[in-house]
Amino acid sequence: MILSARMVRWALPVLLGLLAVLAVACLMSGDLHLSAGRVWAGLCRSDELAATIVWRIRMPRLIVDILVGAALSSAGLVMQAFFRNNLANPGLLGVSGGGAAGAVITIAAGWSSLSLWFLPLGSIVGAMAASAAVLVLARRGASTERLLLAGVALNALLGAVTSFVLTQYTGLYERNAQILFWLIGGVEDRTWEHVQIALPIVAASILLWPLGRPMDLLSLGVAEAQSLGVDARRLRRQLLVLSTVLTALATAVAGAVGFVGLIVPHILRLLVGPEHRRLVPLSLVGGAVFVAGCDLAGRAAGGIRLGIVTSLIGGPFFLWLLRKLP
Amino acid sequence: MNAVDLSDVAVNGRLEPLSLALPRGSLIGLVGPNGAGKSTLLQLAAGVLPCAGRVAWQGRDLSEIPFLERARCAAWVPHGVQFEFGFSVRSVVAQGRFAHGDDEKGVDAALARFDLARLADRSVNHLSGGEQTRVLLARALVTEAPLQFWDEPLAALDPRHGLEVLRLARTLAAAGSTVLFSLHDLRLAHALDQVVVLRDRQLRDFGPPAQILTPELFLDVFAVRAHTGPGLTLELP
Repeated sequence: MILSARMVRWALPVLLGLLAVLAVACLMSGDLHLSAGRVWAGLCRSDELAATIVWRIRMPRLIVDILVGAALSSAGLVMQAFFRNNLANPGLLGVSGGGAAGAVITIAAGWSSLSLWFLPLGSIVGAMAASAAVLVLARRGASTERLLLAGVALNALLGAVTSFVLTQYTGLYERNAQILFWLIGGVEDRTWEHVQIALPIVAASILLWPLGRPMDLLSLGVAEAQSLGVDARRLRRQLLVLSTVLTALATAVAGAVGFVGLIVPHILRLLVGPEHRRLVPLSLVGGAVFVAGCDLAGRAAGGIRLGIVTSLIGGPFFLWLLRKLP
Repeated sequence: MNAVDLSDVAVNGRLEPLSLALPRGSLIGLVGPNGAGKSTLLQLAAGVLPCAGRVAWQGRDLSEIPFLERARCAAWVPHGVQFEFGFSVRSVVAQGRFAHGDDEKGVDAALARFDLARLADRSVNHLSGGEQTRVLLARALVTEAPLQFWDEPLAALDPRHGLEVLRLARTLAAAGSTVLFSLHDLRLAHALDQVVVLRDRQLRDFGPPAQILTPELFLDVFAVRAHTGPGLTLELP
């Protein structure tokens, strides 16, 4: 790890401070720039225009940023401990693919225009179905290798479903544009309803919080974890359900935002070491910082969508960090 | 009451059904050629490998003991472990206290005992095979578990550390623990209370080494000619 033991203790407060600064910056920036003072006036509802902008537009988007970041990052961390591979992420299991296929089917069928809730519902159903398929395999005593291969097969299958739907609707320009817009991933025009959809992420994060220490032991392998006192089968089930829910909800409100679950835990592990007791809270906050930062950068660059920014910033930064490794 | 009772335990394709009772306060060696089923027997006795038959610790059926309590009863040292994440030596040893509420009791003493104090902050991935074995033994020691199952703990150790591990095992057994470990160096067998001999995934013999480690057994099980006299020497037949 790069940080010394004394600096590691400051990692969480520093990240929280960074998140607070980013939050203010997110509330300030947009088509109409608000000064910090006007943001405050808006928060207190003493300035009507600022209040409308802050409470109706920017606050829900900021909260969605934070929740999506926390969810994707911690889901990635969980998968890495689960598969004992620090490059694993929910995409591997086919959970993201399931969420994408579910959402695309919902849009293509025209259901998404009936209610705001149908698109996230489709995404959650898709992700849950993909996870259920993996869980059935796990119940039959599947090894990590089998789970991973099942994820590869599921991803290929779900990708084919998505592509099929896309090619079938080439005539309906509007729906196709909607599907593509969603597949890229973004947080534009998020409302308080989206915040409500994403709110269970808070509950999942709270459930995940105490599992950090057992995750350390699980990352040694099932047999070792069990010999050290962890009910490994139960823990694996809990982790699988939690990471599925986290990924599905994040995908439901922000579309397919890549890289967060891979890069944030990886960077944090390089900084503070591999202990999940520390990594669970740090990845929740770190993911929020990363996504809020990417969203802000995208807005500053003239409206580049979140999914593009996370990959544009994430990819090179990740490569730079890899080069710095001893 | 026996420390460990194995009744008709078997693992499909890896170990034929066998029964074995390991007494309390004894140092027991597990010997046999490669692929005889030593690791399998150790793992099922340690409760980390599901098997047919019944495993009981101190008269209690293993299925009745919750995982956290199991970790306080028995420690298992795997052979050739792979660390995916670069935990520090100290944190790996401290994992042995998970079932005790992560109190870190005895961690420093165990690090010192296995000459690991100066490596405490190093990543386990940067250690040699022998050093990693010592880390795992230190972790097993801090569990304070009365049942110790070690898979080839001496295989990668230098002579001094090997002898120290043997002495530690003796001390633990004298204090009432039961130590079952697999080994290949049969010259050390005289230091053991009992020896379990496996051949072709079956139990071949069990008893005090002086009684069962006969030249006939060496020829039959290991296909080597043994000269017992002052010290054991082995040669190809």
